[in-house]
Amino acid sequence: MPLRVRLTLWYGTALALILIIFSTILYLVTARSLRDAVDESLEETAAAAVRSLEERGFLPLIDEDELMSQFPELARIDKFFQIFSPSGTITIRSPNVKQQEMPLSRQALEVAYSGRSLLEFAKYPKEPALRLISVPIIYRGNLLYIIQVGTSMDSVEETLNRLLLVLLVSMPIALAVSLAGGWFMAGRALRPVDTITLAAQRIAGGDLTQRLTVPASADEIGRLTNTFNAMIDRLETSFRQIRQFSSDASHELRTPLTVMKGETELALRRPRETDDYKVVLESNLEEIDRMTRIVDELLFLSRADMGEVKMERLPVPLDTLIEDLHRQASLLGQERNIQVVLRATTPAVVLGDELRLRELFLNLLDNAVKYSRPSGAVDIALMIDQTHARVSVTDHGIGIAQEDQTRIFDRFYRTDEARAHTKKGTGLGLAICAWIAESHRGRIEVQSKVGEGSTFTVMLPLAPAPAAAKRPPISSSPSSHRER
Amino acid sequence: MRILVIEDETKVGCFIRRALEEESYAVDLCEDGAKGLEMALHTNYDLLIVDLMLPSLSGLDILKGVRQAKIQTPILILTAQSQVDQRVKGLDAGADDYLTKPFAIDELLARIRALLRRGSTESPGVLQIDDLALNPATREVTRGSQRIDLTLKEYALLEYLMRHTGRVLTRPMISEHVWNQDFDTFTNVIDVYVNYLRNKIDRGHSKKLIHTIRGSGYMLKVD
Repeated sequence: MPLRVRLTLWYGTALALILIIFSTILYLVTARSLRDAVDESLEETAAAAVRSLEERGFLPLIDEDELMSQFPELARIDKFFQIFSPSGTITIRSPNVKQQEMPLSRQALEVAYSGRSLLEFAKYPKEPALRLISVPIIYRGNLLYIIQVGTSMDSVEETLNRLLLVLLVSMPIALAVSLAGGWFMAGRALRPVDTITLAAQRIAGGDLTQRLTVPASADEIGRLTNTFNAMIDRLETSFRQIRQFSSDASHELRTPLTVMKGETELALRRPRETDDYKVVLESNLEEIDRMTRIVDELLFLSRADMGEVKMERLPVPLDTLIEDLHRQASLLGQERNIQVVLRATTPAVVLGDELRLRELFLNLLDNAVKYSRPSGAVDIALMIDQTHARVSVTDHGIGIAQEDQTRIFDRFYRTDEARAHTKKGTGLGLAICAWIAESHRGRIEVQSKVGEGSTFTVMLPLAPAPAAAKRPPISSSPSSHRER
Repeated sequence: MRILVIEDETKVGCFIRRALEEESYAVDLCEDGAKGLEMALHTNYDLLIVDLMLPSLSGLDILKGVRQAKIQTPILILTAQSQVDQRVKGLDAGADDYLTKPFAIDELLARIRALLRRGSTESPGVLQIDDLALNPATREVTRGSQRIDLTLKEYALLEYLMRHTGRVLTRPMISEHVWNQDFDTFTNVIDVYVNYLRNKIDRGHSKKLIHTIRGSGYMLKVD
């Protein structure tokens, strides 16, 4: 059942209950007070009659005219008056009851003998309901008369009936009107929800550029809208990243395939010299190597994403590792006459996986050599502060533009300059570096200026003291003690 | 027919150039987007082959630049992305056709032939003037029932002449469409090749098809 219908029904039911209870109480209280008023007036009249009789010394009354002159209040048209003898026979009565015999009830007589008054209802044929009060007059222990005053309940009943009618007619009308109002209000309150639903459906259909219009008010709907929009923002971003990734991945994998297919087809179009075939095969082998590297690195990253890459957490002496890598990088640089210089080193132990760390730094050094100008220099430095070891690799090569610096750690992201500079990169190396640094609870940063070079800095948390104590004695030189 | 290839992957660009040259097209290769657009704007190419992902200026920008300059040269785009929206964007920006990498060389050549054919609507697959026929798909040239063997350049020259039958073609026009940018326009190579063609096509036939227009250039026509 739609929320709007449910809200309206709940609202209607609650309102109907309130109306019924209210009407019932109103009716009962009104009926009670009207009857009480009748009873009170009867009692007063009776009491006045008794007082008059007392003043006259309880002399028997002769006739109506005397009676009426004695009791002017009896002239009131709405009441009648009867006096009964102790035997229950009517001795006298007011003119307005002449038409009909209205004998004293047995109960009234009995009660009169016990000296008490009685209020009762009486119903005579062809007459409206009557309210009667019978008051005994007792003089020196003897019952002299029974005075009965009565009045018609007609007006009371009529008033009550009218009230009932008004309630019965107005209650459904009020209920209907407020149900309609409730339906309208629920619709109004729920309209933004419908808008959100429609937008959500469009977005679910794949259009992530859609946003909800934020209402001016900061109410529940406003908050929901904002939350929803923020969620779509994040979704759009990650969708764009995924799309970018798959388009980049497809580009990187298709290019070697294009080369291999194109060169092979071209070679097969007509007979060629043996050397031509050799060139094609060598080129294809290069492309196969390139694809193999991409696939390996992609597999590594996707296994890393799934948390399937095992990472050691053993003490690794960074200074030894860096010295070793320095030697390796010097060999890399020789080919293009690039000097790799170890500017600073200090004993430092981190907890981690030596093979992965080696891969991380070798990757950075390889990049630094690749993007250096011939006969340039690459600097390595290892420093420590209270909590972290900092390894920085600096080149004086082409540099990275400011807007690219945040993106170079993205998978397959390669700047145009990098693409033009070296055709062999996969665009995954720095993504892997960043992952290794992060899985050691460290991070990697880049500072660079176009045309001047780049510095990549890796920060790794130092191992706690006991692990550091297990260091081989050879590397704990006096200088390191001073530094600490 | 002279074609500009804008492709940043050196190897891809090289094999495309080689394949096209073996089909007697004159080919210029450019690896940079901005430079490629420059070349497309300043040289009268018969066809452009543009990779969509390029450094400095994307393939889409090149397309827009070329079309903005009111150059109607057919453009074939190459894309490594299989996503439809890239191809749609390319076609909407003014490309005439696309190929997804990796592609078959035969398909590339067939699409190039189709695009070049589209340039002049009245020309069917086989070019014909009098009893001289040239089939661009098979590169077969016949006069009457006799098959004529041509070298790559001779063929390229003849194809250019036949695509513009009845019009005077100046030496600069010929050099621009039959040779690539490395060609030195101040030599008499064109005259030498026209003579080769005359020997193979008109010799022994009473009806001459290749005519010298003194002071301006050459024309292919039926007398």
